[in-house]
Amino acid sequence: MLRSKGKSMALLSETAKAATLPDVATTPTAWQRWRYRAKVASREPTTLIGVLTALLFTYLIVVPIISIVLDSVRVQFGHERRLGKDFGELTLYYLDRAFLSPVSVDLFWRPLLNTLSVALGAISLSLVIGTVLAWLISRTDMFGRRWFATALIVPYMLPAWTFALAWTTLFKNRTVGGQPGWFEAMGLTPPDWVAYGRFPIIIILALHYTPFVILLFGSALRRFDSQLEDSARILGAKRYQVALQIILPLMRPALLSSMVLIFAKCLGEFGVPYVLGLPVKFEVLSTSLFRSIASRQTGVAGVVAASIMLIGIITLMIDARLVREARRFVTVGSKGSMNRQSRLGKYRLPATGFAALIFLLSVGLPLLTLFLSTIMKLPAQFTLDNFTLDYWIGRDLHTVALQTGVLLSPDLWAAAKNTLMIVGLASLTSGILGLLVGYVVIRTPVKALSVYLRQVTFLPYLVPGIAFAAAYLSLFAVPRGPMPALYGTVTILVLALIADQMPYASRAGISAMTQLGKDPEEAAQISGAGWFRRMFLIVIPIQKGSLVTGVLLPFISGIKGLSLFVILAVPSTDVLTTYSLRLVDYHYTQAANAVVLIIAAIAYLGTLAAQKLTKTNLAEGLGS
Amino acid sequence: MPSINLSGAQKNYGVNSANAVSNLDLEIRDGEFMCLLGPSGCGKTTTLRMIAGLENLSDGEIRIGERLVDSVRSGVFIPPEKREMGLVFQSYALWPHLTIERNTDFGLRLRKLPKAEREARVEKVMQALDIAKYRDRYPSQLSGGQQQRVALARMLAVNPGVLLLDEPLSNLDARLRLEMRAELKRIHKEFKTTIVFVTHDQWEAMTLATTIAVMNEGTLQQMGTPNDIYDRPANRFVAEFVGSPPINILTFGSSAASQLSLAAEAYLGARHPSLRGIGSVGIRPEAIGYSVKCEDVPAGGFSGEMTVTGVLPTGGSWILELRNDSDTLFLTTNALPRVETGSKVSFFAPPEALHVFDKGGQRLTEADALLRKNTLN
Repeated sequence: MLRSKGKSMALLSETAKAATLPDVATTPTAWQRWRYRAKVASREPTTLIGVLTALLFTYLIVVPIISIVLDSVRVQFGHERRLGKDFGELTLYYLDRAFLSPVSVDLFWRPLLNTLSVALGAISLSLVIGTVLAWLISRTDMFGRRWFATALIVPYMLPAWTFALAWTTLFKNRTVGGQPGWFEAMGLTPPDWVAYGRFPIIIILALHYTPFVILLFGSALRRFDSQLEDSARILGAKRYQVALQIILPLMRPALLSSMVLIFAKCLGEFGVPYVLGLPVKFEVLSTSLFRSIASRQTGVAGVVAASIMLIGIITLMIDARLVREARRFVTVGSKGSMNRQSRLGKYRLPATGFAALIFLLSVGLPLLTLFLSTIMKLPAQFTLDNFTLDYWIGRDLHTVALQTGVLLSPDLWAAAKNTLMIVGLASLTSGILGLLVGYVVIRTPVKALSVYLRQVTFLPYLVPGIAFAAAYLSLFAVPRGPMPALYGTVTILVLALIADQMPYASRAGISAMTQLGKDPEEAAQISGAGWFRRMFLIVIPIQKGSLVTGVLLPFISGIKGLSLFVILAVPSTDVLTTYSLRLVDYHYTQAANAVVLIIAAIAYLGTLAAQKLTKTNLAEGLGS
Repeated sequence: MPSINLSGAQKNYGVNSANAVSNLDLEIRDGEFMCLLGPSGCGKTTTLRMIAGLENLSDGEIRIGERLVDSVRSGVFIPPEKREMGLVFQSYALWPHLTIERNTDFGLRLRKLPKAEREARVEKVMQALDIAKYRDRYPSQLSGGQQQRVALARMLAVNPGVLLLDEPLSNLDARLRLEMRAELKRIHKEFKTTIVFVTHDQWEAMTLATTIAVMNEGTLQQMGTPNDIYDRPANRFVAEFVGSPPINILTFGSSAASQLSLAAEAYLGARHPSLRGIGSVGIRPEAIGYSVKCEDVPAGGFSGEMTVTGVLPTGGSWILELRNDSDTLFLTTNALPRVETGSKVSFFAPPEALHVFDKGGQRLTEADALLRKNTLN
């Protein structure tokens, strides 16, 4: 069947001919492609929801931040005469005042220095304690390792200023009025440097953030493959050589990462320096910001808040870099990975004692002190007639205000109701929004939308809460456009909380949707289910668990949160945290401590409940 | 039952990236059991997902029966939920929060069938697939093979015109695989569905399919019956991909030192002048015979002498490895080989067993006729 043109090269089969056809002539036009893609995207509401949420978060997150940055370079209300310019005009006055003027030392530089020194002190101390504890828990045969693994995380579940209040209960001296501290009452007057300021703040923040190190460093240690150690040993390395040349370099990213995270947290910490720093005028950036806001220096407040944000953003960008670097260190061969325990031998008991001591200092002692202080009339007098339940459930007490025990006070219940309503509403909303964001980020065919949503919802994470609250104040304190002035309303608190919780909520949503994968939903789609049916019959029922966590976790952190509320709440919108702070200000020590104990109990039990519900160790997720 | 028609179907992820599927024309006729066969990453799963509507096109169009369901240029896109198909995922994708019965029932409920009819149909498929006894269990309580059946039952319950299967057997152990293959054949007969089946396993494709479409790097290489694909591979890729142990390929002009290539080239040239200097030739291992004595070699075939370097029993059959200074040749035999390694044997292949490819690797169809005609002479 050889044809006339039968040269070998002409003997092409059908498929080869098809493949050699020029492709260029057959591509569809840009318009056709766009129309088709629009058709695909518009057949379900994923993209629409994405666009709406993106707009919402732009308004709730991006706009307030821009607003406060603008505040710092524009003439603020009340300064028109002094600056000789109209309200809203550009000015460098506030920058000059915060950074260069004679008062800049008090407004910015000394608080900055104090912030840095407190953070560095807290980091060093928690690293020393944390690495040892992490090693004991994850790589040794210390007694009660499992119990300690949970118990030593508890300080992080409690509000940081719980410890500050416990500290003042013990060490308060005559510098401040009100009930004296226990040591003072026993005749031992603690010096100011022990009672207030840098030293106690460092100790308390260190104890509060040590769980970070235990979690991050501990998990890196657990992942560390003993075979890496063994290989070095077999090649003749001594124990210290293994530690220095193999273990330490591989642990470095985890250590650096926990340092950076602790720094970022210290930056935004408000309650502890407020309680312990104020009496001796020891100011950090967050309290300086608070003072500027309280004295209506909105321009300077803008500068300080923007500075805090900038430092926070830089810090967390460093962390992101470190995480990337850490990924390089992910050792291959997880299959054969072994986690062998070191035998402590004769140090087994002392090591256990050390862990127990840290637990006592960071959980037992503060909570016990606080509790005792609420049932004792006079501090540090341990006689039976000094004990009373009046501060909890008493009536007709001879005080100026708060004449009943705190449990009978209508103020407490109002605050509790507010807390439940504000934090509950915000958590519920952010949990649902988080799942929606997760859905859109994973599913939308419009890539830019997915990237934008992911980043915008993460933004509040970079901004310490107090700066974020200041940003909200700057945007919503006055009516703008169709929005009425929101200051003093429940709305502003709910909105700020939602925005503040979005990083956690969206991250939970994204990871839940990633884990779910596309298959179950696609199977439903093939079976004939449209978008809403897939959402309500497949996605939400399967994601029930993570939705509950997505609501519960923000709820817990919202209940113990202080920095947002302290700036945005007014007496009528008091929540438990601001209520207890108000009691501190009025020196109703016992009542304040009682409220803090209630908050701590709710936070702790809530965490446990979430843990039970999801059957995971949430403590491990807190570190991120 | 409709046929499926892809014309010029194309898929890339981003304008500048390579095509996952390029310019694919494929017709799947009513009632066919079509296998998309190819190595991983060849675009077969993408093709399946395009048919289902889970993946949108970059160009081209898809018709189901007379209905245009997907076309970039006409701006048509019918979403998967309206295409009335069934798809069994590689991961099975059973809904973890629903019982087996509710999983099976899902599609029927969406179609708002009366309860009695729903129950009857669920019962029928659950019986057919032998999963009725697990009706109240949850997917996580079933083994892989059982989950597989549920995934099938779930799709069969709605009686789809087209059933798409994405490597559904790859997660099963060898024995279950064999059972499920038989099961699929039975289902194909019983439910009279058009089935499109994606696999990288040539055995699966050979045993199940009525038509096989071999794909590589996003393009269709050959479409035909299993025998077509095996006996008349359209190009070298198909020839080398299908068959185990793989086909022996002798490439001409690539290395001057290959004695066997030179011999094959000379042999073909002697058969017909137009076959001189052509690209390469392939011979399947089972088409090669051997004998210890030279005089037993039949005349007219391609033959030569080589040394036995390995006898590999595969249980019931044997693979012989033959070598000379420059080449290795594999052949298979079903009779116990009575040769020692190191001994010399003569191999031979009849002319019609030679697959001739041009320099571009395409099958030289004209050569088949030439070689066959000459054999008859």
